[in-house]
Amino acid sequence: MIPILKIEKVCKRFGGIVVADAIDLEIHAGEILGLIGPNGAGKSSLFNLISGIYPIDSGEITLMGQSLHGLSMVKRAQSGISRTWQHMRLFPSMTVLNNLVVASRYYEAENLRALFFQSGKVKGLQAEKENDAMEILVRMGLASLSNSPIADLTFGQQKLIGLARALMNDGPCLLLDEPMAGVEGQSYETIKDIVRQEANRGRAICVVEHNISFVKDLCNSAVFMFNGKLLERGSVDDLLASKTLEALYFGGQKTIPVS
Amino acid sequence: MEYVISVLVLMGIYVILSSSFNLIIGYGGLISIAHPIFFALGAYTCGVLSVNMSIWPPLAVALGAGLALVFSLMLSLPSLRISGDYLLITSIGFQLGLLEVIKHLSFTGGASGLGNIPNVVDFGDRSTVFAAISIALAALVFVFIRWLIRGPYGLLISAMRDDELVYTSLGRNAMKVKLVIFGIGCACAGLAGGLYAYYYQYVNPDQFEILQSSMILTMVVVGGMGSQWGPVVGAVLLLFMPQAIGFLNFPPSVMAPLQGLLYSSLVIIFLFVRPQGLMAAFDRNSSRPSK
Repeated sequence: MIPILKIEKVCKRFGGIVVADAIDLEIHAGEILGLIGPNGAGKSSLFNLISGIYPIDSGEITLMGQSLHGLSMVKRAQSGISRTWQHMRLFPSMTVLNNLVVASRYYEAENLRALFFQSGKVKGLQAEKENDAMEILVRMGLASLSNSPIADLTFGQQKLIGLARALMNDGPCLLLDEPMAGVEGQSYETIKDIVRQEANRGRAICVVEHNISFVKDLCNSAVFMFNGKLLERGSVDDLLASKTLEALYFGGQKTIPVS
Repeated sequence: MEYVISVLVLMGIYVILSSSFNLIIGYGGLISIAHPIFFALGAYTCGVLSVNMSIWPPLAVALGAGLALVFSLMLSLPSLRISGDYLLITSIGFQLGLLEVIKHLSFTGGASGLGNIPNVVDFGDRSTVFAAISIALAALVFVFIRWLIRGPYGLLISAMRDDELVYTSLGRNAMKVKLVIFGIGCACAGLAGGLYAYYYQYVNPDQFEILQSSMILTMVVVGGMGSQWGPVVGAVLLLFMPQAIGFLNFPPSVMAPLQGLLYSSLVIIFLFVRPQGLMAAFDRNSSRPSK
């Protein structure tokens, strides 16, 4: 079976700092992969490389067998790579619903010819997007906030909207950057349920997360990253049982031991 | 009465200028000071065409707007490709350089300006007809921008302005939306220029100096950046300001700098005291977040 996302020998350095050092990774449909490691390990940078913010120095990233080489961020998103951000980065001047609507995988009104000369069709498609957005908000239990400005939302609700916005792209690959940071209570449970549902729908999901119990609850497997290297892949329990990884994670050890 | 009507013509022209500038700076968050040069391009296109050949005036105005659009792309394509800040820097050079070119070309009349633009209204009271056309065009521009902002394209503009990186990561082309709103804004300025040339039958480079930019900016800031009615109110208020300070009876050599001083002070005061402008609180569709 072709993996949804395949990363082969990907390298990236910024001057003297290596953020990706020959990384190999595969994520299949329906899989939730945890990406763990200490701060500065290169987890978010890997997301930035996949989504196309920075070009890779060498290696290859493929989405469903198609190379992403040379594809802009815009094209990658339209190919079906969707992501969230550690600090949400919602659009503050817009309502909750509009934050979602503008994030659809395709947005016909971007095409001026359609906007000016097929306004009826565009209007219809826009209404469909609003319905899709409302459906997601209902799943999140936030339908009543659809017309609220972002500033009126609690932190947890904003995290949920960040996830909801990523779900508007119905593509096969979902990258979640610390979806649980600072989240507790009901929002925590909701995010967990939604991520699981999305995996069951066949998406390949990669989660960067420091909340180990969340990773343990949710992920089929996890990889441990350190200094731009992918050290180990296995079940979350196995990774946590490793004394070496534990020392790297919690700061007892500063370098990778030579085996 | 004649005077009031001539102010109405100007009011229409400045509502077009300030509303279109608001689209660029208020909604789009793109900072340019080159709006007067696009105003000039529209005015000179109509002037040059109508002096040298008999051309249907609406066509000349449309060509002026079209030329402003083309020139806007020449400015925005290279500068917006790098980063939004470069637009400001490039726009200064564009405004100053292009006006210098106009001042030195013979077919534009050089520094002394281009006169003898034919009168194209030979029916009814000329000023009244121009006032009606000017206000109608201003209303058209206002309605068009309102339609654009309230519709699906408005969401793109707001999202792009709020966070360009996230906007791009969602699969939206930020460059395209910036080019479009900058182009539309500049084309509207060109439209206002055409109207201006036909009404005054004379265009002079001095009328399109960089200081015009501060006047248009003042209208937008005082009225309310990113609000639909803001630039309209700002334009109306500021056009009455010279009359309001007229009672001081200063000589013209003092009046002109005094006006400049007042415009600049108003911008600074408003940015400190009421950055959302006069109209934001009354404007439901203001796209700026309340802070």
